[in-house]
Amino acid sequence: MNRREFIDELNALLRDLPDKERLDIVADYTEHFLIGVERGKSEEEIAESLGSPKALAREILAGYRIHQAQSNASVGNITRAVLATVSLGFFNLVFVLGPFIGMIGALFAFFVAAITLFFAPLVFFLQYGIPNVSHDRMMMLFASMASCGLGGMLAIGLARLSRWLYRQFLRYLQFNVRMIRGK
Amino acid sequence: MNVQFKKGVLELCVLVLVAQEDRYGYELVAIISEKFHIAEGTVYPLLRRLTIEGFFTTYLAESPEGPPRKYYQLTEKGRTYMNDLVMEWRIFTRGVNQIIEEGIGL
Repeated sequence: MNRREFIDELNALLRDLPDKERLDIVADYTEHFLIGVERGKSEEEIAESLGSPKALAREILAGYRIHQAQSNASVGNITRAVLATVSLGFFNLVFVLGPFIGMIGALFAFFVAAITLFFAPLVFFLQYGIPNVSHDRMMMLFASMASCGLGGMLAIGLARLSRWLYRQFLRYLQFNVRMIRGK
Repeated sequence: MNVQFKKGVLELCVLVLVAQEDRYGYELVAIISEKFHIAEGTVYPLLRRLTIEGFFTTYLAESPEGPPRKYYQLTEKGRTYMNDLVMEWRIFTRGVNQIIEEGIGL
């Protein structure tokens, strides 16, 4: 692989990056090639020691995705960060994707529970209309109101927990990318 | 040597080399790969990250021969970070060395 091929491939693989950043990265590697050639190495030799553009691009993209998810919190962004990290190696399929899916699953289940609890009074009214004073029904109404409060508090707690988990998980991704980069 | 291990060490090496004097990428890669084998390309993402995190600043300087070079310079924040890492590294290697010495001798 010569300089042209290396740079073209890297450039194509980094197409998702903002132009400025991509050009900056490509410029670094171009500088590396030029200095190497000036010191009497062949372009092929230099490309060989740099490693494959694919592996480099995966590493660069994972770093970029994590940074994005940090500065701009969203489910889409963290999912992209997770997928980019997973692409770094088989190991991460187990140690990143596994915990991530488990975490999302658990949060989802709890949110569903919170919503169900929250809407209990609504279900009561739909079922029985405006309550008459029958003892059983009044008990049910109060129970459903308690459930509503519980659901509301659970939802608030979960929202906080989700934000906290989001930050922690990103830190874990960052740590992971730093440790396992490479072949 | 094991890859996982080298990755963490690479960061320390780069910081110490830049602390010594301002250096450009090719120079860093050359010095490090003389000591141990690395995929040389991974040094650049590392330099980028350390720059984004505020440990380095960069400037371009002309060279008598060839293209202008991007130099990396250690910031105050970078120096503090490096000192922490060096200290951790010393404690770590001292521990490992003791275990080796007690285990299989010098």
